[in-house]
Amino acid sequence: MIARLLREPLLQFLVLGAVLFALHGLVGKRNAEAPDKIVVSASRIANLGDGFARTWRRPPSEQELQGLIDDYIRDEVFYREGRAAGLDRDDVIIRRRVRQKMEFLAEDMSVPEPSDEQLAAYLASNAERFRGEDQITFHQVFLSATRRANTIESDSKQVASVLARADGAVDATALGDPFLLGEEFRGVSPSRVTSTFGEGFAAQIFAMEAGRWQGPIASGFGQHFVFISERASGSLPPLDAVRPAVRREWANARRLEAERKLYASLRDRYQIVVEPPSARAASADISR
Amino acid sequence: MMFRLSSISDAVLAGVCAACLLTTAVAAEDAATDIGTLDKETADKAFPAKPPYSPYAGRNFPTRPYFGDTHTHTSYSMDAGAFGARLGPKDAYRFAKGEEVIASSGQPAKLSRPLDFMVVADHSDGMGFFPQLIGGDPGLLATPQGRKWYDEINSGKGAQAALDIITSFGKGQMPKGFPTPGTPAYRSAWRETIKAAEEANEPGRFTAFIGYEWTSNAGGNNLHRNIIWRDNGAKASLVEPYTTLPPLGSPNPRDLWKWMAMVEEKTGAEILALAHNGNLSNGRMFPIIESFNGKRTDRDYAENRIRWEPLYEATQMKGDGETHPFLSPNDEFANYERWDKGNLDLTEVKKPEMLEFEYVRSALKNGLKMEAELGLNPYKFGLVGSTDTHTGLAAVEEDNFFGKTSSSEPSAGRATHPFVKTDKAVIMGWETTAAGYAAVWAAENTREAIFDAMKRRETYATTGPRMVVRFFGGWDFEAADANNRMPARVGYTKGVPMGGDLNTAPQGKSPSFLVAALKDPIGANLDRIQVIKGWLGKDGQTQERVYDVAVSGGRAIDADGRSRTSVGSTVDIANATWTNTIGAGEMITMWKDPDFDPALRAFYYVRVIEIPTPRWTAYDAKYFGIKMPAEVRMTTTERAYTSPIWYTP
Repeated sequence: MIARLLREPLLQFLVLGAVLFALHGLVGKRNAEAPDKIVVSASRIANLGDGFARTWRRPPSEQELQGLIDDYIRDEVFYREGRAAGLDRDDVIIRRRVRQKMEFLAEDMSVPEPSDEQLAAYLASNAERFRGEDQITFHQVFLSATRRANTIESDSKQVASVLARADGAVDATALGDPFLLGEEFRGVSPSRVTSTFGEGFAAQIFAMEAGRWQGPIASGFGQHFVFISERASGSLPPLDAVRPAVRREWANARRLEAERKLYASLRDRYQIVVEPPSARAASADISR
Repeated sequence: MMFRLSSISDAVLAGVCAACLLTTAVAAEDAATDIGTLDKETADKAFPAKPPYSPYAGRNFPTRPYFGDTHTHTSYSMDAGAFGARLGPKDAYRFAKGEEVIASSGQPAKLSRPLDFMVVADHSDGMGFFPQLIGGDPGLLATPQGRKWYDEINSGKGAQAALDIITSFGKGQMPKGFPTPGTPAYRSAWRETIKAAEEANEPGRFTAFIGYEWTSNAGGNNLHRNIIWRDNGAKASLVEPYTTLPPLGSPNPRDLWKWMAMVEEKTGAEILALAHNGNLSNGRMFPIIESFNGKRTDRDYAENRIRWEPLYEATQMKGDGETHPFLSPNDEFANYERWDKGNLDLTEVKKPEMLEFEYVRSALKNGLKMEAELGLNPYKFGLVGSTDTHTGLAAVEEDNFFGKTSSSEPSAGRATHPFVKTDKAVIMGWETTAAGYAAVWAAENTREAIFDAMKRRETYATTGPRMVVRFFGGWDFEAADANNRMPARVGYTKGVPMGGDLNTAPQGKSPSFLVAALKDPIGANLDRIQVIKGWLGKDGQTQERVYDVAVSGGRAIDADGRSRTSVGSTVDIANATWTNTIGAGEMITMWKDPDFDPALRAFYYVRVIEIPTPRWTAYDAKYFGIKMPAEVRMTTTERAYTSPIWYTP
């Protein structure tokens, strides 16, 4: 039987493992009931029906309900037999499930609603994470490395000398080549510039002054002369403006802390002996 | 980005929508649903004959693609948890937003750049076996123990309750009503999933979709679909995910579609499904004969499939799905990240005759054939890529690949451990593909805008790099359009974008296309841009052909539309490096179909090929100082596939 099980598709195996495990909680009842008796209580049936209703938004028909009950009994029979055969022992899936459940518990029990003082304090001590990004508005003259394979250096010098005499009002874009994403970029942040032009470009342009043509800045696409017309630096927003984000980050910090504490307190209850690993076991351990 | 919908006047909005109405049928649907129906007269009034002086005015077409993943699994997925995933939906969204997280294997992980959107799509079967026991489940509260724990938790004595629960669990003294599958436990997992998405969603900055995966795997044959909500948690929480295990669920896609119809009708939500990994379906993903009833797919199947499944996930970690060398023998780029040994669990080996019903290109071709037969094309889908990661980490760059499962996060041995192994075949860890992402041309970064763009198929797939790809089709594009200062404006004005339709060819005209690509700003240069054409011949047989339309480095394109000179390679495998000394950073061109027959149904899509770069296996070998076996592929040519543009006579 075990051999046959092992040949089953992985998913089915996982499902079976999970079913076994989920039903683990019913173990306690076995003491009370005769081992060869399966009782499908009225509340259980109501439960099954509710599950169906949540999927289909209507109660099951009589036939469907019978199907649910039959399936439940089938689960139960295999579950009991599987446990009796010891299939739940040393099962990595079941172990993981239990561990995850424990971590889940730690997470959920640790998050009461935070007070404004707590959130304000969190915001103050993690200001950098919530500060708005700097933004600039600029337009560009783009020289395409593809279109000007051999002349880009000399073209670049020429454009530089023209732009040295121009101001922002002059429509200088005709000096260059079309750029697929356009020639004007409004209110863009460093992360947006990075995702469009690359990191080096973003670092250079955000260090530049507004109000005159500058460049060229090199990118993977060619050379860019830029005119920054507006610049706004990111400020620390008031709590009300970022409350959901602060609350999320605060809860996340609490969750990690609660998980760590729970683990530490539980681990303290054990005396842990780690035997010297064999060479092979040590190498396998690297991946954990 | 430059003009948010909300910030422009109604007149301009109406004008632009009117423009869409006049030029593209697909976009017109949008105009109708978003702001009511437009008749010709209103449209004429709102859309002035002469464009405004400012070339930027009225510009609300999508100006940039948003990159994301529609397919991230977390510890809530049973198999992910079993493989050691510890990161849940919250962590997955944080990671996607560019935060550093500690992976399940204990290593710090961070993306090179944040993603713009993501769907946490955990398996619906057995989702979150780990319910919050404190969900207030009535069955549990009816027991003295349950009541006690619940009260303790609510009065801040959670830790005390936890220890008591653990002890009771260990002794097998859990109360009646302890959560079991398909019951309140399940519901709370779904609620957690929704909550994580609601918290992570930041309109304008990051879109977190609510979704799940329906993992139909009958006989080990992959018919998986991801389900995505346009709506918020209030609507999504009115239902629970559809599963595949009878009696509550079903592995038959027709039942899933029934369920989707029920959800839209009863909750007022809007949802879509996208399938993946036809390559592991053993001939069942794009059927002509349905596997569940053995009958020829009928009009009902076609209507439902096209209604509910506007997209297909064409590339991901379990192999690439564009085409196969057996199906496309004249396509030298067809042999890419192939997974063709069998079905998902390798219980049945692959036979060549299955391939036709598994891959994107052959499905698009068969779709034309079925349209001629049924009056409707069931396989008129757009393309995206996504990861299918089971680590919570949507990290698929070659130099930052966190693997398919938590046990295949970076380690010296991961490439040479089997991924699946049966008595029939083996798929090794190194065969896992570091791919892909979904790119969506939406007007803004919100659930609504991205979902609507998905519905109109204005999307493309990439195998990981974030290249920008434009593709417009029409009847009047000219060579000069490739030099226009605003390629997008020309594209939307004179044609339809990727995913759109061309009908009834004007007398004597062939379709022309504006095609453009920018490399990933931090990635490799581009080798070439190709247009792939498929059509239904007069004899009822489908055909396909590859055209090189733009090639880098001044190479020639022969009279038959192909450039046979390879771009070469700069890859240094031992050091896992390459240089951008070959290829091009950007390319744009106008291409006209030289072999057009107005009487024949056809589709066109674009494939962009990067120059060769080191594959993730080369980065592994370098980092861990190991020697890979000879059969391990060490270089890759990343690529993008756009949604097709269809021509229907």
